[in-house]
Amino acid sequence: MTRCLTTSGKVRLLPSAATPRPTRWPPLSFHQPAISPHPGLSSAMAIQGVEQTILRDPALFYWILFPISVVMILTGILRHYATVLMNTPPKSAATLAESRERHALLRGVNLRNHACSVLDRESFEARRNYLVSGFRSGAFLKDPNNRGQPPANPMTDPAGMEAMMGMLKGNMMMMIPQTLIMSWINAFFSGFVILKLPFPLTIRFKSMLQTGVMTRDLDVQWVSSLSWYFLNLMGLQSVFGFILGSDNSANQMAQQVGMANPAAMMNPMQPGQDPDKLFLSEAENLEVMEHFCVLNGVEERVLRNFARR
Amino acid sequence: MGTPTDAEANGSDVISALRLSQRAPEILGHGPASNAYAASSTSAPDTAEEYGRIEQLLLACLRTGDDQSAQACLDRLSHRFGPSNERVMGLRGLYQEAIAKDQLALEKCLVEYETILSENPVNVPIMKRRVALLRSLRRPFDAITALVQLLDAIPTDAEAWGELADLYQSQGLGSQAIFSLEEALLVAPNSWNIHARLGELLYVCSSSSDGDAARLAGKSVQHFCRSIELCDDYLRGFYGLILATSRMLDHKYAAESPSDPAVPSRKTIHHLQSFALGRLENIIQSRSVDDQHWASSRSDLIAAKELLNRFAQSK
Repeated sequence: MTRCLTTSGKVRLLPSAATPRPTRWPPLSFHQPAISPHPGLSSAMAIQGVEQTILRDPALFYWILFPISVVMILTGILRHYATVLMNTPPKSAATLAESRERHALLRGVNLRNHACSVLDRESFEARRNYLVSGFRSGAFLKDPNNRGQPPANPMTDPAGMEAMMGMLKGNMMMMIPQTLIMSWINAFFSGFVILKLPFPLTIRFKSMLQTGVMTRDLDVQWVSSLSWYFLNLMGLQSVFGFILGSDNSANQMAQQVGMANPAAMMNPMQPGQDPDKLFLSEAENLEVMEHFCVLNGVEERVLRNFARR
Repeated sequence: MGTPTDAEANGSDVISALRLSQRAPEILGHGPASNAYAASSTSAPDTAEEYGRIEQLLLACLRTGDDQSAQACLDRLSHRFGPSNERVMGLRGLYQEAIAKDQLALEKCLVEYETILSENPVNVPIMKRRVALLRSLRRPFDAITALVQLLDAIPTDAEAWGELADLYQSQGLGSQAIFSLEEALLVAPNSWNIHARLGELLYVCSSSSDGDAARLAGKSVQHFCRSIELCDDYLRGFYGLILATSRMLDHKYAAESPSDPAVPSRKTIHHLQSFALGRLENIIQSRSVDDQHWASSRSDLIAAKELLNRFAQSK
């Protein structure tokens, strides 16, 4: 294989007939520009200069680009099914008191949101007093005697332990394949330039598209194999949506987003949370609530809206 | 024969339940009916809709006495979800109650439910079955106790609140029934049928209680109005509104010029009544033409016609 660097800044890879194997890029030694201590200077030159041409071996496509994509899709599908298999359904309440603790908060929220369309003032006041005093006195708690004590250590609490195991399993499903594939790609395919984007990009994308290729002069349009892996990692969600349906668990990025934003998928009674505090804040919400009733004047409203027609 | 969605929409009525259960062989896919459908249903998708349909079919078959098809449905459900699934347990209990020959067999079911509940006290379908069984064994007070216990644990179950209201009403405990229906409405505030049901309940209570009658009748009118506001061709809403307004007019509950602007005047009530009469007439006319579609509510139509006749005669 011969390699030559022309004076006009063109990089050529000339695959020789004797070596049909994929070309390895970058070379062990690479020509550095003579005077360019500042990276911005040389890259500016690369953008403004004549278009770079790299003759790529077509085998690059069949042996690197294609395998990486296929492997990424297959791991996604595998991860989806593994998650489905290992997923334990949320445990339902074991005793009546526990179930009451879970639903009492919802009852308060229901009263707050819907009282205006159902109740008149008297029955609203009665319900509010009942719920507020119940929340305050801890009557809805699973065991009112334990009130005010710090929540049990999740390590000793079997329910907390289970939740932690579930989280651990989810994390493992994410970590293991990612580590394996990353190291596999690093070991076999690192350093190849495999793709040219058909549109120009600014210099900022260089770190995203050319991971593993340590050149400053290479145009941003060229994509390295490691970057192709990252692009697949981030961008295959719609492909998985097409194959597995919309609520799949194939994409780890989605899971990570979910992790980072737990408020979005919080159910009211998470294991480490103290229901007593939730009840107290709900009691406060109920107390400050102003009551009105849509049933007041509904007779005139019906006549006005419907009878004229 | 109507389309399946038609039949499902009117599932509470016996005729459509019968139609639905007659489709059992083709849905279950082992009958002489249509081989094409059978072939497609052996590879039927393993979806929630499919099993929801089988559950519906099971209920329809039990209503119409097709116990064999019901058994087949039940087998299929318990094959898929396992016999220890709570919902399957509830359906199995329902099936056993349905095929029970005498009082003794029903008592046996009750004992069975109690053993299940002693193992897992929060098995909601079985709890509900137990309440229903106690009711059909004519032990309403036990049923009420059991239902109150259930609602204490799960206070956001509109179905159970509705059932409790019905039980209370059957025992003549009006204000308790009103409370229960209001709780059901708090869970599902926009359901016009529960609003109309509450209106009916208030109307009934206003006829029995003395001191509070005016207030109850007024509230009844309000709830019927709300029901009409939410669904503007709801026959029961108009029917009830006519009855409630005529009670208010007959007993002179509404003042000529009330001090509180929120309280409707006698004139408004009168307008409401004539509006409801007109609309009810329209509804009857349009539904009598389209007879087949409204087959399930034919009795409602007859009652409404009779009410209109009564009003025509009194004038």
